[in-house]
Order: sequence, then C-alpha cells, then structure tokens
Amino acid sequence: MKNEGKKETEQAKELDKIEIRVEKGKEKLFEVDRRSVYKCVQCGTCRSVCPVFDVVGWESANTRGRMLIIKSLLEGTLPSEDVLPSLASCTTCGICAAKCPAGANPPEVVEAARAQLVKCGITTEAQEKLKSAVMTYGNSLGETQNRKHWLSEIERSQLPEKSDYVYFVGCFDSYRYPEFAKKTFKILQRYGVTLLPDEQCCASPLLRTGFREDAEKIMEHNLEQIIQVGAHTIITSCAGCYTTLKNNYPGELRVISLPEFLAEHLDELKLKKLDLTVTYHDPCHLGRHNKIYDAPRKVIQAICTLKEMKNIKEESRCCGGGGGVRIGYPDISLELARNRLKDVPEGVDYIVTSCPLCVRNLRDAGGDIEVIDIIELVAMAME
Amino acid sequence: MNRILEIDIDNIQVMVEPGIIQDALNDALKPYGFFFPPNPGSSAMCTIGGMIAYNASGMRCVKYGTTRNYVRDLEVVLADGTIIHTGSKMLKSAAGYDLTQLITGSEGTLGIVTKASLKIAPLPQTRKLVIASFENAEIAGQAVVKTFSKGVIPSACEILDRVSLQVLRRYDPKLVLPSEGDVLLFEVDGTESSAREAAEQIMKICSPLALSIKLAESENEMADIWAARKLVGAAVSRLDPTKTRIYVGEDVGVPIKKVPELLKKAQEISEKFNLPAMKYGHIGDGNLHLALFIDVLNKDEWDRLSKAADLIHRTAIELGGTVSSEHGVGAARAEYMEAQWGSALEVMRAIKKALDPKGILNPGKLGL
Ligand SMILES: Cc1cc2nc3c(=O)[nH]c(=O)nc-3n(C[C@H](O)[C@H](O)[C@H](O)COP(=O)(O)OP(=O)(O)OC[C@H]3O[C@@H](n4cnc5c(N)ncnc54)[C@H](O)[C@@H]3O)c2cc1C
Ligand code: SF4
Ligand code: SF4
Repeated sequence: MKNEGKKETEQAKELDKIEIRVEKGKEKLFEVDRRSVYKCVQCGTCRSVCPVFDVVGWESANTRGRMLIIKSLLEGTLPSEDVLPSLASCTTCGICAAKCPAGANPPEVVEAARAQLVKCGITTEAQEKLKSAVMTYGNSLGETQNRKHWLSEIERSQLPEKSDYVYFVGCFDSYRYPEFAKKTFKILQRYGVTLLPDEQCCASPLLRTGFREDAEKIMEHNLEQIIQVGAHTIITSCAGCYTTLKNNYPGELRVISLPEFLAEHLDELKLKKLDLTVTYHDPCHLGRHNKIYDAPRKVIQAICTLKEMKNIKEESRCCGGGGGVRIGYPDISLELARNRLKDVPEGVDYIVTSCPLCVRNLRDAGGDIEVIDIIELVAMAME
Repeated sequence: MNRILEIDIDNIQVMVEPGIIQDALNDALKPYGFFFPPNPGSSAMCTIGGMIAYNASGMRCVKYGTTRNYVRDLEVVLADGTIIHTGSKMLKSAAGYDLTQLITGSEGTLGIVTKASLKIAPLPQTRKLVIASFENAEIAGQAVVKTFSKGVIPSACEILDRVSLQVLRRYDPKLVLPSEGDVLLFEVDGTESSAREAAEQIMKICSPLALSIKLAESENEMADIWAARKLVGAAVSRLDPTKTRIYVGEDVGVPIKKVPELLKKAQEISEKFNLPAMKYGHIGDGNLHLALFIDVLNKDEWDRLSKAADLIHRTAIELGGTVSSEHGVGAARAEYMEAQWGSALEVMRAIKKALDPKGILNPGKLGL
C-alpha cells in the first residue's frame, strides 16, 4: 500500500465542516506523557500507511502531523479547536505504530491528547453526542430499548445468575445486529455462559474519544456486574469491546474473543463443510492491537476455502469505523471502507470479519460482495 | 499535484507533478523497464518536489548521481507569479544560464516547482550485495577508498557501525548480519556476469582488511537488509526507549579520501561529549550520518548535543567537506553557510534578492 499525497476530495473538505464546542472558563493546561511524544523523530514512515491521510492528503491528517501538533501543544501552544480536525480524525487503527521504526505508539498518544482536550473543554459535537448517548442510555447508539430485547421474556428470566463465563454482547450486536447476538449466544449457552444482568457500553467509544472520567464510571458499573455473576472469563464478539475489556479495564480480566472461543471448540461444534470461498478482514482492534490473526482463520478454514485479501494481519487496512471517525467524519470513514474493499480478491462469495463495527462500515461502503460476521458463517455451517 | 503527466520512453524521460511520491513513480515506471534512480531512505513518503528542492540522493548515487543529474526541465512559479520553464527535453543545451540546476537544491527559496521533466534510466538486470565486516569503522573506510581506487564503482556503498547493527537486529530480528565489527554493504548491478565479476572483485580487494565477507544469498535477503537500512536512522529508540535520535550534525560529507579521518573524528566527538552515537551512511560518496541520541527530557544532554553537532559541522568544513550532503541546510544549518562558502554566499544572496526581493519564499532557509 502506498499513499500518494494531497487530494482535492470531498473527504478532505469534510475535516473543516465539523461542528465544535468550546466550553469557556476551562483550564488550558495540556499534558501528556512527553517521552511518548518525543519518541517520534518525524521520519514520515507512518505517512505512507495512515489510511486517513490516504483519503484526505493533508499532512495534519497523518500520524506525523498529529504527533507534531501534540508536540506543539506540549511546548506551549494553547489548545484550541484548531487542532480538532487533526486529532479527532484518527481511527486508532494502529498501523502507524506497527510500522514506526522509532517504536512510537501514535494512537495511544492521540487518545491521551483527546483526553486532555476534553479536560480543556474542547470537543466536537459528534463527540458530545456520543458521550451523552453512552452516559444517558448506557449504549453508544442512544437506544432506549431493553439491551436484551433479542431474548424473549422467558429466556431472560431463565438466564443463570451465576456463571464462570459471561458473554459481553456489546452495543452493536445488542441493537444493530441482534441476529448475531442470538446466534452467538445459542452456541455459548451450551457451555453454561450467561449474560450480565445489566450490561452497559464497554466504554470503548468514550476512551477512544477522550472521555476518560466518564469511561471509568461505566467500566466500574460493568465490573460490578461481572463480580455479581462471579465470572472469571468474558467472551465477546466485538473487537472494540475485546480490546477495551482486555487492555483498559482495571485488574486482569480474562477476555476471550469469539473467534478464539470458536477455534477452541471446533471439534464439538460439528461444523459442515460448505462449498464457499470467502475472504477475511482483520479488525484493527482484534488483529494489530491484540495479534489475534490465526483463530478466525482456523474457524473459516474448518468450514470453507479462505482466499486472503491483499493486505492482511499486521498490514491489514482499517475499515474506517473506529476511533469515533464514523460518527465524526462519515465521508472519510466510508472512503476508508471503500479503499479496504479494493483489497478483496476476485471470486469470493463473502467477506467475513469478526467485529460488528467493521461489518457495518464495510456494508455501508456498498461493495458487490456481502459482508458477514464470522458467527453467521458458523451458523450456516451448523444448519 | 501528484500526477504523472507523460511517460516518454522514446526520449527516456517522464513529466510529473511535484507531489508524486518517489516509490509511486518507480512503481509506474517498472513495467516499462525503467526507473528514476535517486532513492533516499524516505522513498516511500517523499515527493519529487521535495527531492528536487533538496537535491536528494540516497544509496545509489555513487553510481547514478543525485537528483540534479536527472532534472531536464522545470516549470517554476516565481515570487512575483511569473511562470517559467528552465529547460527542455533536450539532452544538452549551450544557450544561457542553467536555471534548472539553480532551482534544483534551492530549498524552495527561489520559486515553487509545479512540473518537472526527469531523465530516467533502464532497470539493471540484476543486483548483488556484498556484506563485509571490519574491526572498526576506520578500516572499513580504508576498504572503501581501496575499492574505488581500483576502479570498481558499486551501485551503492553503505556503512553500518556496530551500534547501527544492534539497532537493526532489534528492528528486525530475522536480518542476517555479521555478528561482530562495523559493516560495509556493497551493491553492484548490471548483467548477471558483470555484476558477479564486480562482486568478486570487491570481495578480493576487501578480504585482506575484513573480519568476514560474504555475498547475500537471495533477493529476499537483500530486500530485507535494504528495507531495514532505510529506516535505521529513526530506530534508535528500539535500543533504549528513553533515548531519541535528534537530527543535528547528521548529514556531513567529505571527499572520499577523508572518510576514514571523518569516521575517527566522529567517534572522538561522541566520546568527548559522552553521547552515544550510531554511525551509518552513504560512505561511497563521503556522506556520513552521525546519529546522536539523547534523553530529550535531560537539559544537560541537549547542551552537550548542540556542542557535539557544532563540532562535527566544523570538522567536516575543515576536511574540505559540507555540512549537508543531502538533507539540506534549511534553518538548522544556516549558520554554517558563511564558513562553508565564504564570499560565494554573497552571490547566492544576490540571486535570492533578484528573484525574491520581498523574501517571501521559505524565509530563513539557507542562511541567505
Ligand atoms: C527516513 C528518512 C530517510 C532519508 N534518507 C535520505 C537519503 O538517503 N538521501 C537523501 O537525499 N535524503 C534523505 N532524506 C531526506 C530527503 O531528502 C527528503 O525526505 C526528501 O528529499 C524531501 O522530500 P519531501 O517530500 O519529504 O519534502 P518536504 O519535507 O515536503 O519539503 C522539503 C523542502 O522542499 C520544499 N519543497 C517541497 N516541494 C517543493 C516544490 N514543489 N517547489 C519548491 N520547493 C518545494 C519545501 O518547502 C521544503 O523546504 C531522508 C529523510 C527521511 C525522513
Ligand atoms: S513513523 Fe514514528 S517516528 Fe516516524 S513520523 Fe511516524 S510516528 Fe514519528
Ligand atoms: S492510528 Fe491509524 S488513523 Fe491514526 S494516525 Fe495511526 S495510521 Fe493514522
């Protein structure tokens, strides 16, 4: 993959269109771990891989530009809304960190910088909307329905109160893809897995966009629920929930992704072979961030033929759905998804992935090939 | 501004807009069997406009020369808005001042390049890589001088000292590199037989001085070594996460015969100021990248760093060399222009004043 520089596109213009909220009277002290910022030597390696830069083309919309802006904030430039288009447009895909010769971790630095901007009272309207949805309704989508609406009343009442294993459903599977949740839980129930009595958003959207204090409240709530159930292991089918539960929750939760769980129990699932050829999209937060590359491939290959995309595993390109970019900059986000679809090989029946946010973004990008979650492929093989 | 406007194989040249990335240009030329030879370590991210502005070169300029050897014609917007062409598709011209060469390397201080016609070269049939290690960098420098004086011109000739090798191993543990000493990489290209012959000659010339010497075994091994070499400069933090490489004093160059002396002095400077350093670079054209690294949160280390950088710049000038071989002067090295150029700097100032009387183009650059 090669980025080719500045573009005169609608996506580039979208950066200037966002609505911004500046809260008056807030302290403007900006502080993030300096060493992590100064690690960047501005070599530009990330410039050649940043997917947002690839569609926007401005230096401020690539990793190096973001690191430079954060450095200047550390060195005395007053934080202002001017930095938002740069800092709010990172999907936290992490390909820059994987490639950075200096070992910098730009998405971590960007997240820390976003948290500082929140403290300074500088946010986008989209960020505020997201926060208010999570804090008011317990989910990132602002849904008012019962989170377990996909189960019947009877099913709900029969859920075990205690279990070693909990299925953390996530906002997307709960409200946008309840059929994924049903199919997943149908399998997990065989193993005595239960649900949290009152699951709320995992807090990923809050953490990625800088609302750390609010995120802590939500995380605490979910942790209390986990303790109440007595679970030692959480299983989740969303890449965003996975990385958050695993890497951001306090303490050491044992977290297993759905593809790992399926791969471990392949023999017991008695899957049929299907005459299909599929390709697999590595979600950034499952793949690059947590190195889960083999489990989903093992599951797919137990069912059908896998034909790899052009850029896979560590090199995989972002679908554009993460880091608050889909809600903040939908045009940029979908252009990233369209770019990702260009990596799909010829002659495949489905694009399989293992994250509902990737499913949504890749579907919305409007390709010819149907995008499905890995649980749907597994369900087909169990019919 | 990043399009290829014309690939003119009959005239062995291309016309591009300045925003095109160097690797993207070469990807487009590959199917025709041609390439644009200057290849800085930043080829995946740098633009042709930036390369022209800085007369960029890179690893293969020992044989292929620098960007300026490939620029035929430039469309330039001057400070007053006038648009000029500095050359033509002609191979040679004896009519008038060579404005193409004036603009190339002018660091954006005289005009903005908006189009460029560039000479290209046929891709060599094959490349081979000799990897030799030496007791110390100075002896490696002698081996380079000896190789060149015997009339062998490699397509690339790079040095990586032992610290650079440690960094590279951390960056990519799979790399096959000598376990001791300072290392030279000699690349030769041409037909299968001419490249083999040149590689054998280099091995024969260097063997008496070397601790070990071998030919890279496969194309993949070569590609991995070059990929890592390109990024070594930024990878110091892999060795010690509290240290950051600071780009000062990093681009000096001296005449090839003075290279061993420069290497010795660079080592002395690093020791004198008690600053760890990595020495690597395009030794075949006398260009040494001295990478000093410090804890950026330590003020004392910053002070020692600027003194060390100052000394390395002055040393290069004393040895008849330059404060910048390819990265350019910019604002960071502007203070050395007087020492390096003497009264010639006044001529440069007169040119700047004539073309940009209001000083609106890259002000403060080049010490003008
Ligand atoms: C990791 C790394 C390795 C490197 N290795 C080498 C190497 O081996 N050899 C080497 O020679 N260099 C090397 N360089 C430096 C290299 O010269 C630059 O990367 C490149 O030449 C500059 O291109 P750019 O697109 O990055 O320019 P920019 O940084 O965008 O611009 C550089 C300067 O040129 C001016 N400029 C840009 N475009 C134009 C234009 N159209 N008209 C007028 N002025 C313009 C700008 O104003 C600026 O002053 C390396 C750099 C890095 C980061
Ligand atoms: S690759 Fe790393 S060091 Fe280089 S510019 Fe990007 S973040 Fe900075
Ligand atoms: S995390 Fe992804 S989007 Fe963000 S700066 Fe890095 S490469 Fe760009």
